[in-house]
Amino acid sequence: MPEKKKAAPFFGCMIQAKYPQFESAVRFSFDKLGYKLVDLDGFTCCPDPIYFQAFDKLSWLSVAARNIAIAEEAGLDLITACSGCTSSLSETNHLLKTDEELRERVNERLAKIGKKFKGTIRVRHIATVLRDDIGYEKIAASVIRPLTSMNVAFHYGCHLLKPVEIMNVDDPQHPELLEQLVKAIGANPISHRQRILCCGKGCLDDDLPPKMMFDILTSVENESPDCLCLICPTCFDQYDMGQIRMKKIFDRKFEIPVVYYFQLLALAQGADSKTIGLQWHRTKTKEFMEKVAALSG
Amino acid sequence: MVQVDLKFRDKLAEMIGGEMHNLCYQCGACVGDCPAARYSDDYNPRLIMLKTLLGLEDDLICENSIIWKCTNCFNCYERCPQQVKPIEVIIALKNMIGLRHLEPSSVDEILQSVRQSGRTVLVNETVIRRREELNLPPLKDLPVKELEILIHAEEDKE
Repeated sequence: MPEKKKAAPFFGCMIQAKYPQFESAVRFSFDKLGYKLVDLDGFTCCPDPIYFQAFDKLSWLSVAARNIAIAEEAGLDLITACSGCTSSLSETNHLLKTDEELRERVNERLAKIGKKFKGTIRVRHIATVLRDDIGYEKIAASVIRPLTSMNVAFHYGCHLLKPVEIMNVDDPQHPELLEQLVKAIGANPISHRQRILCCGKGCLDDDLPPKMMFDILTSVENESPDCLCLICPTCFDQYDMGQIRMKKIFDRKFEIPVVYYFQLLALAQGADSKTIGLQWHRTKTKEFMEKVAALSG
Repeated sequence: MVQVDLKFRDKLAEMIGGEMHNLCYQCGACVGDCPAARYSDDYNPRLIMLKTLLGLEDDLICENSIIWKCTNCFNCYERCPQQVKPIEVIIALKNMIGLRHLEPSSVDEILQSVRQSGRTVLVNETVIRRREELNLPPLKDLPVKELEILIHAEEDKE
């Protein structure tokens, strides 16, 4: 038998300490796909690509490089399950591999804790691992309950796709990765006008993010999908809780269930509803939960 | 009266580790696809670049600076025909705000959370219980002492 593909998962703070149901869904799915996740000790926050980097870029690079060094020591690529972690770790990996002077400055700091960035591994968003290492066909083959009744809208989020020269995932104006992943589990991908608009989470302002969210949610609602699917826990945070804030700010009620892609994948692969933790989501509809219940039998 | 200071470009070059910002020719490509510009009346990445090049630093490196409205979406990075990467200029300006201790409290909160626990999200009883229910490994304490050595923020700031 050929050796199983393997890599080190990097779940990050939001998933591990706020939305553990996403971690549970990823572990279930990767097991079904025959891909081994090797847990490594000692990872800290990626760290946060927006506020931590805004404080001091060199400290940001150093903490990220420490996380990468742990995976290098184990000789494993890092798989990130959050687009924020992807942003910090991919950008650091790219900058330190290409800028020798910067690498030396960071390694001076790392030497104080007995670590070194060597530039020997790759950092990859988990959605790209599905596409490139596993493939849509193998995903489809792992499905035992196709989600044919499910109309799924999606939100890409910025840091999965941009900057292109570093992320190199998909065309940021016309991405199709999530559509393909949704199709692979038998569901119907539903496009909407604002599918690539930023969720606003990285903007420090009271006014702007709610307005951006309002437009995205309206755009999704116009297409009447069963749920909004995304691939980042920070975007999830913004939409799941955010719909409740919309009511307070604009006196406008949205009721669009939000899911992390792996929750749908695990459901299609036979996971029971407890494993994917939908009961903890803030925005649920009776129709959606009935469809899930019918699928998980 | 506006005081132009062209030396500010050099300070920025040192902060960024490059001089690409000097290639900005004010075309405005960064504005068209900027969500913060689209949704606000006063945010404009081209103007931020202009003020940067003219060295009007007090307009940008101050309390409640407008640059915090940047959504960090990277559209300007993609659009700029001169590879100026306006978002990287804005991040460097934010770092300069940090050097003067004028950053918003939310930046400090994230930083302190990482320094104290290694995470941006604090572990609470609910998540511990949910992880148990999901049969996930328990969350361990993280090596914050190592982080403190890597960050050593105050030392750098003096």
